[in-house]
Amino acid sequence: MFRTAIRAQSLFKSALTVAKPNIASSSRLMSKHSTETDEQFDARYENYFNRKDIDGWEIRQGINDLWGHDLVPEPKILDAALKACRRVNDFALAVRILEAVKDKCGSKVDEIYPYIIQEIRPTLNELGISTPEELGYDKPELALQSVFEMH
Amino acid sequence: MAGKLMLFGKIAHNIPGSSIQRCAMSSYVRTLIGKREIVGFGFNGEPNYVDRTDFPLPAIRWKEPSPDVLTLREKEKGDWKLLSIEEKKALYRASFCQTFAEFKAPTGEWKSVIGLGLVFISVAFWIFYGMKVFVYSPLPDSFKKENREAQLRRIIDLQMNPVEGIASKWDYEKDDWKK
Repeated sequence: MFRTAIRAQSLFKSALTVAKPNIASSSRLMSKHSTETDEQFDARYENYFNRKDIDGWEIRQGINDLWGHDLVPEPKILDAALKACRRVNDFALAVRILEAVKDKCGSKVDEIYPYIIQEIRPTLNELGISTPEELGYDKPELALQSVFEMH
Repeated sequence: MAGKLMLFGKIAHNIPGSSIQRCAMSSYVRTLIGKREIVGFGFNGEPNYVDRTDFPLPAIRWKEPSPDVLTLREKEKGDWKLLSIEEKKALYRASFCQTFAEFKAPTGEWKSVIGLGLVFISVAFWIFYGMKVFVYSPLPDSFKKENREAQLRRIIDLQMNPVEGIASKWDYEKDDWKK
């Protein structure tokens, strides 16, 4: 009875030990100050997105993780992420990332967001990604009834 | 028997979705999300969809695959410059429910909050007036003008608060208020 369970467990364990680069490896420090420099931080995320075999799951994992930090990502990280979206053939993902960048700028959106778009413009043109403004998504398009208003 | 149950429990762990065909946590969860494609970890590991600014990429796509969406997905594998604006928007809406502009848009709820608050305050004022008219007994005689004047004369005659209070303001030689 237990032998089948142990065999199944070892199957799962061998699958779990697939070498998977852990994007959040350096954020497990117990003290608040990490010893990573800005360039190392940028390079870590850029290398993560530049992996040839990345898939949609890992892009989302990396972006959600990066968004947890109190910063607007460097254009080169965004370039790598957008190219990764191209490799997995997910256009909506790329537009969503751009919208999320604009939101991350906070109150300084008029200074930071145009700069970011200008820096990644070559990648946008090369891959054919439209910015949310070009799709008309900088203003609300559709309305959705709030669940709190439904009686 | 117990081993079989243990095996079932082991499926519900965070297995990287790429290498293993991902199945939903349970058939109950699968009935909740239907045929939607699970595409990520989300914010808590459950295959749910929430529009959040701090977690921009949810765990599942918004819409279930339909023939239109599937043909668009085929087109998506080609050059994105060949997609029209409508197709790009359709692709976005297939994966996401609301855009950032839509779910961050102000609701104007503050107006109804202040309005309802003021309505309730006005009702309270009416209740106070109703209490005065219907509930409270009439004021006693000592509140009448003549009674109050007599009380004031007595306070002055008793020289109450002579240092800094009311009797200090009365001139006892002239029998009038000090100028």
